[in-house]
Amino acid sequence: MTRKDTGVGASLLRREDARFLEGRGRFIGDIEIPGMLDVAFLRSPLAHARIASIDTPEDADGRVFTAADLSDVKLVPPASKVPGHRIVAPPPMASNRARYVGEIVAACIAPTRAEAEDLVETLAPDFEMLPVIASMDDALSEDGPRLYDDWDSNVSMETGFDSGIDEIIANAPVKVTRVLDMARQAMVPLEGKGVLAYWSERDDQLVVYSSTQSPHQIRTALCEALGLQQRQIRVIAPDVGGGFGYKAILHPEEVIVAALALKTGQPLRWLEDRFEHLTAGANAREHRYEMNAYADDRGRVLAIDAKLTTDGGAYSVWPHTNGFDAIQASGILTGPYDIGGYRVKTQTVVTNKPPLSPYRAVARPGACFAIECTMDAVARAVGRDPAEVRLDNLVKPEAMPYKAITGKEYDSGDYPACLRRAMEMVAEAPKTPAPGRLLGTGYAIYTEHTAVSTSTISHIGIPMMPGFEQAAALMQPDGSLELRVGVQSHGQGMETTMAQIASQVLGMEPDRVVLRHGDTGLSPFSTGTYASRAIVMTGGAVAAACDKISVKLREIAAHLMQCEPSAVRLEDGLLKGPSATMTIADAAETWHFRPYELPDDVLRDGLEVTGGYRPDGDKGPFAYAAHAATVSVDPELGTVELIDYVAVDDCGTRVNPMIVDGQVLGGVVQGIGTGLFEESPFDDQGQPLATTFADYSLPTAAETPMIRLDHSETQSPYTRFGVKGVGEGGAIAPPAAVINAINDALRPLGAELCAVPATPKRVLGAIFDAQDRAKADLETAK
Amino acid sequence: MTTLSLTVNGRQVNTEIDPRVNLADFLRDRLSLKGTHLGCEHGACGACTVLMDGMPIRSCITMAASCEGVEITTVEGYDDDPLMARLREAFREEHALQCGYCTPGMLATAYDIVSRMDRADENEIRAELAGCVCRCTGYRGIVRAIERCIAEKSA
Repeated sequence: MTRKDTGVGASLLRREDARFLEGRGRFIGDIEIPGMLDVAFLRSPLAHARIASIDTPEDADGRVFTAADLSDVKLVPPASKVPGHRIVAPPPMASNRARYVGEIVAACIAPTRAEAEDLVETLAPDFEMLPVIASMDDALSEDGPRLYDDWDSNVSMETGFDSGIDEIIANAPVKVTRVLDMARQAMVPLEGKGVLAYWSERDDQLVVYSSTQSPHQIRTALCEALGLQQRQIRVIAPDVGGGFGYKAILHPEEVIVAALALKTGQPLRWLEDRFEHLTAGANAREHRYEMNAYADDRGRVLAIDAKLTTDGGAYSVWPHTNGFDAIQASGILTGPYDIGGYRVKTQTVVTNKPPLSPYRAVARPGACFAIECTMDAVARAVGRDPAEVRLDNLVKPEAMPYKAITGKEYDSGDYPACLRRAMEMVAEAPKTPAPGRLLGTGYAIYTEHTAVSTSTISHIGIPMMPGFEQAAALMQPDGSLELRVGVQSHGQGMETTMAQIASQVLGMEPDRVVLRHGDTGLSPFSTGTYASRAIVMTGGAVAAACDKISVKLREIAAHLMQCEPSAVRLEDGLLKGPSATMTIADAAETWHFRPYELPDDVLRDGLEVTGGYRPDGDKGPFAYAAHAATVSVDPELGTVELIDYVAVDDCGTRVNPMIVDGQVLGGVVQGIGTGLFEESPFDDQGQPLATTFADYSLPTAAETPMIRLDHSETQSPYTRFGVKGVGEGGAIAPPAAVINAINDALRPLGAELCAVPATPKRVLGAIFDAQDRAKADLETAK
Repeated sequence: MTTLSLTVNGRQVNTEIDPRVNLADFLRDRLSLKGTHLGCEHGACGACTVLMDGMPIRSCITMAASCEGVEITTVEGYDDDPLMARLREAFREEHALQCGYCTPGMLATAYDIVSRMDRADENEIRAELAGCVCRCTGYRGIVRAIERCIAEKSA
């Protein structure tokens, strides 16, 4: 049965909006526990230093804590099955050596944050500078310093794949080579990270409020660090003001605050400020791709030979390690194309920077940037239109499901139709250049493995592999329904979409359903919200739990209606038998309050169930999209104005099209940030240079055009309702689309940009390089 | 400590404060008005925007001690305000919020824009919004909600 008005496919307005619009959300900084004290940290001002000593004021006993005070806290190293992968877990506090600016050296406790910061000011640390590894090049320098004394290099992980491409290389008429750089970024959820912890005697539990996407993961890690049983920690994620991956990892502050709350017996809180985020949290992206594409004369790509280097920072974050970007990029670098030969080598290096962490779509924006800029370069090399060359190279719909050379199975879809639709939309709104400006349009298309499944990443062997996702459905005596899930909704609108799924299965009005989420004390286990997985995995689990409820309700109704359960249908929220009809509330009320109307043995195990879900064959579905950017470039100033942006996506069945649009739009603007604005540069001493929003530029409404969207809906053959994930996708293509657009604009100047973000300095650099080349050519010709 | 008298959401407040406390912390910690959110604490993201005597200001870079005699309106203070009611409805209908963290500042800014401008095209609205960061929505819904409310003024 379906409910078009409130079920799967309805653009229902969001349930969660009311509290946020009235300022009644409850974020981590809004929670007050009696006796709560604030924590401020002394952080390393140097990128690489030996900590000789830290002098503390005499009267600061019990208010200042250093690594020595946490000697009983265990490190929580992420595991890895990748051969030779060297893992160093970040210590909660640096003990004798600090390895990046912002690494925590001491914690100070006071009634307010201001007073805690005053206390930090009174500490007298003695740092001895050590040689700094400030870049990938520093890390790879033969005779440079080593981050770890017992390592023979600064390479923490190397991986590779070779399908055997020597013959293709020898015969391909066209070779295109590019080096493409994606800068380091901060993720910048508007609410910073935060944690609040206190011991609850009555519950025999450490209660930890954390602004996290993954409460059960954090609980697991904290138990390991503190030597507690999992029943002894409850992690609650209240309203979370944006995550984007930043809040899907274990943060040292979570360990410190939890450990000190235990140690001091006092409720403690730390709220990240923006300076802390932009320095110690500058932990995303930073990839370098050396791409070699081999093609025929028409631009049909025959093989890709790539080398990828990522700057992993100083440590390996839990649970993903610092190698996840490289692993994922190498697994998707051939993009949505039918490419017969592929060779890749990756290396992850360690540097004096914050540990690399997965940011929205993880490595896909980098991989898409690399293959899509290369695709444009191939088109230029053979003198054809880049979109046409793409159409020739894309996997054809009749080839679905398509086994890519990387081993991934692209499950469904029509990639060329998606690109053609984007081309149509560009043609529908032609732009004219302003005087003195150069106009360009660029395309980028990707396919994204969403709801990443066990089999996809089991070879990596990180902790906390996703398996079955679970949801609990608790039928209340009045026929209303409580859903409990372990994922956390922080903008995705799950309080609405999960109710829609329950409405779809049970025919109930969504306002009779409530979703409890983000609390280990309430819900079944979940690895959390990440990898565009919630609508696929949790949605599937909610449907599975509701299926069980449906069976139970029909069993009750069958007894009351004196018929077989198979003769009872659940339609529009009503239980319909051959001769009678009753409401869900009638059935639920009877079982709870009037059991005498039912035989003794009806529903021995009650009306509260847990459903489990994973896609058929453990196959995470592939969503995809084609994006097109149109830019106006000022060749004198190097400034880029984004004047049009088109995104055509296919995420299978859209549970709530309005929310899907929101996810795509938000992702696109973050991707535009990666492409045009956002960068966390470091100087040669490892000092972060973008420490305020004056230096770290974010896209605002003024820099972004009215993004135009379209969708197709190719149902995944493997998931409930045919859904595919969509949370991250929007952020994947913009860096590539924007750079391809800029290069289209710069074509008359013979200039080409190969790095993001496309700041005026970089754009002018590309133009000057082209001028220098032209001059040199002229000299040679003379 | 210094004395402070001001009006917050129509209520007279007379108190003593530490001169270094900013308005946002004063509203949140002393008056328990948690709807005012801090996103950057250096006046750049707009999340903490409130109205002071009807004008939008950044409460994170406004010292509470400088607020003697002023009237502050926070997101909690629009009980019977028809324009704010309409803005909230439009924000919901246009999916102008996701995580909800920037929303109170966005609403204060939107309230000011719609109050001041009798007509505005999309680009003007975008320029007016340039001081407010939203990390989730991509701004389309926010711009459209404001556009609708301005259009309704002249309808």
